[in-house]
Parts: sequence; structure tokens; C-alpha cells
Amino acid sequence: MIRNYLKIAFRNLWKHRMFTVLNTVGLSIAFAIAILLSMTAIFHLNFDSFHNNLDRTYLLYRTEQTPKGPESSISNPEPLTPALKEEIPGIASITRHLQSGIIGIFGEKEINLDILYTDPDFFSVFSFPSIAGDARQALQSGQNIIITQKIAKIMFGDDTAIGKNIMLMLNGVETPFTVATVLEDIPRQSSFHFDIIVNFVNNPAYSRQKGQWDYRNHEVFLTLQEGVSVETFQKNTRAFSNRYFEDDIKKDKRDGAQADANGQYIQLNLFPFKDWHFIRQINGRITGGKTFPFLIIGISLLILFIACVNFINMSVGINIKRLREIGVRKTLGAAKKQLFFQFWCESIIVFAISIVTGILLSKALLPGFKTLFRTGAVFSDMNTPVFLWGTFIVLLIVTLLGGGYPAFRLSKLNTVQTLKGTLKVQGKNRLRNLLVVVQFSIAILLISCTITLYSQLQYMQGKDLGFNKEQVISLPLNGKKDSQLVLDLLRNELLPIPEVQSITAADNNLGLGRDGSRSTSAFDFDYKGKGVNTNMLVVDYDYLKTLGISLVAGRSFDRNFSRDSLSVIINESLAKELGGQNILNTPLSLLDSKQHTVIGIIKDFHFRDLDQAIEPITLFFNRDKQLDYAYIKVNSANLAQSLSVVKEAWKKAEPNAEFLGSYLDENINRTLDREKTMTTLITCGSIIAILLSCMGIFAISLLTIAQRTKEVGIRKVVGASISSITILLSKDFIRLVIVAFLIAAPIAWWLMYKWLQNYSYRINLSIWFFVVAGVITVLIAFATLSIRTIRAAMANPVKSLKTE
Amino acid sequence: MLLQLNNIFKWVNAGGQRTFLLKDINLTVKEGEFISIMGPSGSGKTTLLNVIGMLDGFNEGEYHFMDESVHQLKEKHRANLYKEYIGFVFQAYHLIDELTVYENIETPLLYKKFKSAERKALVADMLDRFNIVGKKDLFPEQLSGGQQQLVGIARALISKPKLILADEPTGNLNSKQGEEIMELFKQLNEEGVTILQVTHSEKNAAYGSRIIELLDGRKVSL
Repeated sequence: MIRNYLKIAFRNLWKHRMFTVLNTVGLSIAFAIAILLSMTAIFHLNFDSFHNNLDRTYLLYRTEQTPKGPESSISNPEPLTPALKEEIPGIASITRHLQSGIIGIFGEKEINLDILYTDPDFFSVFSFPSIAGDARQALQSGQNIIITQKIAKIMFGDDTAIGKNIMLMLNGVETPFTVATVLEDIPRQSSFHFDIIVNFVNNPAYSRQKGQWDYRNHEVFLTLQEGVSVETFQKNTRAFSNRYFEDDIKKDKRDGAQADANGQYIQLNLFPFKDWHFIRQINGRITGGKTFPFLIIGISLLILFIACVNFINMSVGINIKRLREIGVRKTLGAAKKQLFFQFWCESIIVFAISIVTGILLSKALLPGFKTLFRTGAVFSDMNTPVFLWGTFIVLLIVTLLGGGYPAFRLSKLNTVQTLKGTLKVQGKNRLRNLLVVVQFSIAILLISCTITLYSQLQYMQGKDLGFNKEQVISLPLNGKKDSQLVLDLLRNELLPIPEVQSITAADNNLGLGRDGSRSTSAFDFDYKGKGVNTNMLVVDYDYLKTLGISLVAGRSFDRNFSRDSLSVIINESLAKELGGQNILNTPLSLLDSKQHTVIGIIKDFHFRDLDQAIEPITLFFNRDKQLDYAYIKVNSANLAQSLSVVKEAWKKAEPNAEFLGSYLDENINRTLDREKTMTTLITCGSIIAILLSCMGIFAISLLTIAQRTKEVGIRKVVGASISSITILLSKDFIRLVIVAFLIAAPIAWWLMYKWLQNYSYRINLSIWFFVVAGVITVLIAFATLSIRTIRAAMANPVKSLKTE
Repeated sequence: MLLQLNNIFKWVNAGGQRTFLLKDINLTVKEGEFISIMGPSGSGKTTLLNVIGMLDGFNEGEYHFMDESVHQLKEKHRANLYKEYIGFVFQAYHLIDELTVYENIETPLLYKKFKSAERKALVADMLDRFNIVGKKDLFPEQLSGGQQQLVGIARALISKPKLILADEPTGNLNSKQGEEIMELFKQLNEEGVTILQVTHSEKNAAYGSRIIELLDGRKVSL
């Protein structure tokens, strides 16, 4: 029987090969996309899942009630961790975590390394297995260093690493460390990426931060004991916070902050580490929104849905022609069940072929997909039971619904009517219309999202950031030498070149450079009995000139003034908080209560990402401070050549260090990667959605036009024009697309409105985004339909009338 | 007695009016009879055939088929009954286009879950008997009308029905082909198969042992 089913199925599929091909192509594309997208989603959702204590592992963050509302921060002071461990019950292990870059030296080799300063408990909280040596034990000593297999290979080749000495440039001094442990390479799906680990006490700020409750610079991770809930922990820490953060709380109270529901001004909270990969700070709140992976899964489901709708509509449409066969089979003794299986069998064949081609297609598309979306996902990521079962169940449901529904409907038809061919088919199109409407709603939704996202991206890329990003090279000073020395070398080398206009430096980058490193520094100070928070940046001479930041009042740091080390420049935001331009030349008590004079006020510029509002910032000038980035303004038509000129100068100044210079606009673009990936994704999704939807209405139009051949013939005989017939035949579909637009536009508007709220600087949603999306869809749909409708309208009526 | 219809009424309600398709039909068919049903278009011939074949229901009356009261049976049992005992032959042959001659004849056996070996034997017998062994791998569209109807009859006979219901079996054939088919029916009848045929042609009707004349859903006596 099965063999018979298969045989008939194949013959039927061959007979309607046009539709079979349309269906298989559509479904294959949908399956391929679904596989790729869910692979990416799984890849992200499975991040950090290799840690054994994942369920009990948390990030500690504190939420402080400020006059501006609650502000959360993941930075903590040095004594917090030991105190918590001592006083709060329920902590299994707790570790500090501070990551930065450093130069490691072994013999002739000088390498920039990602270093992690942490406590021995790091290896109890997290699971990074070692190849040689006991990592936890090794970290007890401040002189030991733990390295990954990769670094061992680079540093020592095939020699044993254990016991060797590596020099690290700590605070400008070469300090020896002994390799005590080699770790396995860090898994791909780890949020932490580091090359070497040393004890936390080695971090360059340690001497300054030791015992200080008001200097916060690192994250804290902990595992709770089994059975201890987050709520219990948070409750237990309240008295603790009130005691240790007394000064902060006093200031909050003085400045008029409102306590939270529990009467706390400072609350220590726990954030589940399993969501660390998705952590974001939005308006001061810490959230672990998994929007991106679920968006991806959502899109893949939508695309699958569209393809299935096509399949259902086509199967019902084609099989309506087989009514007689159904009737005959019934008189020959076929039971409903047997008929159902026969039709279902055909669906299963189409689905099976599509799934196989889909998998092959996704394999073929994977490399391109990976570059396009910057994902590290590979097929083996999907070898998790949950995913495999999930896929199996989704496929089963899709095949059951997509294939089963038409089979079910056909097997239930009345025998005599099917035999006579008098069955009313026309009236039963309600479901088909509904499905088409949903299909096009999805397409229009995705297209309007594409337009909005693209506009926002354009807006952010083109926004005036308050500084010159086109002609300025940002160069990480990642070499061994003192930064002021390097800066002088660079100045000597580059300034004589006519195309180099000026050079400066700062201790922070703008945008995200090729070194992949970002940081923020901020501090509080009291002014006229009120707490003020400001970001800080240490800069060198010519900072404003090089970056083209305009002064509103006062002057910049100047070589002609010797006492500029106690001068500061503030931005307009800060000036506003301090009472406007009158603040110029007023002394402020900043950083260890030293008196600094405001010598200049600058226009606000975007020193942080565009999704954040411009905050107050204070520029310091301190030639003793390590600067981390040089900025070189060039004035040349050939930007690539200028970059190589700078590179040569760098190689002369720091022969052993890697050159990681890049133009600022490149750095700014890098901060928009998330948005770019999302835009690409939605664009691809909407292209595929509209493509598949059009394939669907194309197929349906073929079927309905075939049904209406006679009507068209009669209309032509009584004098209808080609255009009026084309419109007649397309009208019903276009009406559906318009209904879809009316449904999709408000949803799209709402979604996009919500999404744009994430950005402090955003475009205004215009009705035109949605109208354009609707018009595009209607035009594409009309063009698709006209392929056949025009032909039908032009056909000779005599022919079409004869066929009846 | 093979089947008996007592006071069968069938109607449809159209536009608030009741239109009778069958009106007070009484009919007894004995085993081995060859009955021709005649009447003008729209007189209810095909409807009567469908009611007898249990493909269609009726609104009033009693229908007994081989000691079973069809009007009291559930849909499923009724289906089982006709699958077991009745074979259908259609004016338009109604062969399945996607299947070969062999497969068309085999289909009823598949639905009755015959074993593969049995099916082979039965189909081979049937092909032999109708002299169409050479055409077994052809598709319906490759056959002439007469040959298609031959296959249709072979398919109806394969499950050894007691009753053949033929709805204008020669309606689409030329006279020579029609004659052949009627001869075949006659022969089958002689072998003991009960046949009920609907026909327009007096000549074909004459093959039967009894003629029933319908007019506007009523039986008219000759």
C-alpha cells in the first residue's frame, strides 16, 4: 500500500511539476533560512553554558537611588568582595574580575595580551579546565601566572610552559611571573576571553584601591550555595550595604533621592550569569534582554509559516482538480483514512525533499552567512538534544499542518458531488484569503521594519557627533614605552609631514577601535553642597584642535600656560549642571579634593555610543598619566596612504608592537555592529518573505486564472479590454494585500516605536516608512500577478470558450 | 431477493420550495436480474442509481439490501456494505489518469487490503478475461473509449461484486463499442452478476430482463 501511495504521489508531483518546483524551492529556502537563523540563535543562547555551576552563578551589581532615578552599576570597590565573603551567608564562592590589555615579554617576543586579574575562587565559580597544573592553587600566589594553551604555543612553541618566567609590563615596569598552569583553550561560546590570568592584587590600580570603598573598577561574580535564593541574598545584604556605603547613602539623601520599595538607597542585586552574554544597560537599568536570538527565531518561524501557507494554498488549489479521482476512489472502496494518507504522502515527499535540500542549501550558504552576520555558529552547535527534538517537533507540526490540512479537507468531500464535478470550490476561499493576508502582513511588517532600521542606521552613521571623525586616526598606544615618550616620537616623526595637521592623545578611545577595548571612567564631586557626577578623560595638548571640538567659552590646554595640570575643561552638559557659563575660572574641588580651575567649556560631543544621551564630562590635563590612544589629524585625499604613513612612524617608535590604528568613522561604525547586523537580518528576512509570498500568490493566480478562463473569454467577446481584464484578475489579490497593509502597519509602527526608545538619538517615525513599504509590496505583488494575468487577458477568447 | 426499496422519497429545498428528485419509489431486485432504468434527462435515473449504490442518501422510505436495513445503518457500515457487494461503472469511465490499466484494476483490491500475490493473480485473471493483457502498462489516455470502459468494467468486477451499477455505460461510445460492452454485460449477467443500468437507448435497454421507466422522479409503469 505504501508503495502504491508513493508511486501515485510521484506521478502526481511530476504531473504538476511547475507547482512541485515552486513548492520545493520555496520550502527549501525557508528551511535553509530557518536552519541558519536558529543555528545563530542557539549559538547565542548557549553562550557560557559550559560552566558547571551556571544555575547558581551571578553577577553582582548595585543599584543606587540618585536624584535622577535609580542607577545600576556593575563596578565594585576592592574591599567589597572580602567583606561579603566574610559577612553574608549563602555565598559558595566569590571572585573579583578585572580585565585589560598588557604587554607580555618572553625573550625576544613581545605580545599584547588580554589579562584577567582575579581571585583563586574564579576557578570555583567558573569552569575553565586546565591541561597542566592546578589553576585554583596557582592563583593563591601573586607571582604565578596562568596562561591558555594558545599563548603557551605562541610563547614557548612545543616546550613545556610550566615553570617558565614571563615578564609583564605592569605600571611601566617589567615584572616577572612564573607559569604555574596551562588552561585549555577557551571555548568559542564563552563570554570571557582572556590570554593570561594573574592574582587580582597585581592589577595596576591595586595600591590605590586597596581598602577604598569609593574607588570602583571591577566586576564581581559569585555562586550561591545550593538552596539559597537570590531574594534571600539580596535581603541579607541590606544592612551590609547601609553600613559600608554610608557615605554614598548620605549624599543620595542630601541630594534628594527617593529610597526604593524596601527603604534602601543602595541595593546589591544579582544578575544571572547565564544571561551575561545579553547584558545591556538601558537608562540606568541592567537587563538581559534576549531580543536578538528570539527575533531571529521569530523571523525564521515567520518565513517557515509563509512557505507553509504557500504549500497549503497550492495543494488545495491543485487537488481541487483531482476531485473526480477522489470520488472514484471512494466508490472503489477507499476509506477516508486511506485517502488522507495518500494525499499526505505526497506532502511528506515534498517536505522531505525540501528539508534535505534546505539542509544542503544552508551548508552551502553557511560561510557567507557567517561573514554577513558575524556569527561563529557552526552546525555542531545544533547537536543538543533540546534543539534536535525541537527541530523534529517543528518539522512534524509543519508537515502535519501543511500537508495534512489539504489532505484532510479533500478526504472529507462528498462522493456524489465530487464525481459530478459540481462541488462548489469558489466559496471556500476564505481560509486561503486569510492565509494570504497573514503572509503579506508579515512581509509588509518586515519591509517597514527594514526601512525604519535602515533610516535609523543612516541617521546614526551620518549624525554630527560634535567631533571630526573622517580625517582623524585613532591609534592605540599598546607598546612597551611610556606613552608621553611615544607621543613625542610620533610628533617628531609625523608633524613635519605636510598632510599631518596635529597630534594629540587621551586615555580613552572614541568608538570601538581595532584593539576591541572600551572603558568608561567617572567620578562624583560636591559642588555647592550638591553631588555631581561626571565622566573623566585625560587628554594631551591639541585635543580640541585635532578632533575639531568647538569651544563655547574659555581656552584649551596650552603649552604657554605652565599650571594646566590643575585646569579642567568641561562640556556644556556639565556646565549646565553647575550653573552655566559663569562656572568659567571657578575652582572646583575634584579628585582627592584638589582645586581645579575650569578654563574652558566645550560643545557637547558624543564620547559614548549613540544609544546613550550625552553625559557631563571633564577633560583633565596630566602629563604624568598614562595615555592610551593617540589621535592624528590628517588632511589628505588619500586616507589609506595617510594611514600607512602613520603606521611607518609607529613602527619606528614601537618596533615590537602591533599597529592597530584606524580612522574614527571606522571606529564609530564598529559600535553600530549590532544595529547593522539587525538591519541586514531584517532586510534578508523581508526579501525572502516578499519573495515567498509572491511565489504563493503567483501560484494561486495560476490556479484561479485557469478556473476563470471561460469568464475571461465571455468578457472579451462582449468587449472587455485587456487592461480591464488584467485589473479584474488582479483585483482580488491586490485587495488582500491592502488589507494586509492595514493590519501590518499599526503593528510595525508599534514595534518600531518601542525599538527606537532604546536610542537617545533617534529618527522620528514617519507615516511614509509604512506607506512606502505598502506601496512596494503592492507593486511587487501586482508585477508578479501580471506575468500571468496579462497573458490570460490577451488570450484569444475563441480558444478559451472552446475548452469548456 | 437482493434489494428492496419501499416508498423512497428524496427531495431538495430550493428557494423555499421542495423539489422532489425521487417520489415514492418501490422496487425489488432479485439476484441475477438485469434491469434497465430509462427516462428523460432529469427524471432521477442517476439519483436512483446513487441511492441504490449508497453513495447518496434519501429523505424518506426504507431500503433493504441483502437483509440489512440500509436506512438504519450508520455511514461507515453503509460504506462497508457497498464496498463489499457493489461495483460501479460510469459513463465517463472515471479511470484514474495517473494509474496504468493494471493499477486501475488493482486499486479496489488495495483498499480491501488483499495480499500482493493474491492481487497479482486476480488482476492477471481479469486482464486475461477481457483480453487486455497487452495493454496493462498503458495509461487511460492511451486507450480508446471502448477500451477504457472495458477497463472500467474490469475494475468494477475485480472484487467480485453481487451487483453492478452502470450509469449510461455506453453513453460516450460509438455504436460498435457500445454493442460490445452490452454483450459483455449480458455475458456477465448470465454468469450470475446482477446488473442495474441507466440508459437512454431502447436498444441497450432491450438487453435487460426488465425495464423501469422514470419520469419526474416517479416510476411510471409501462
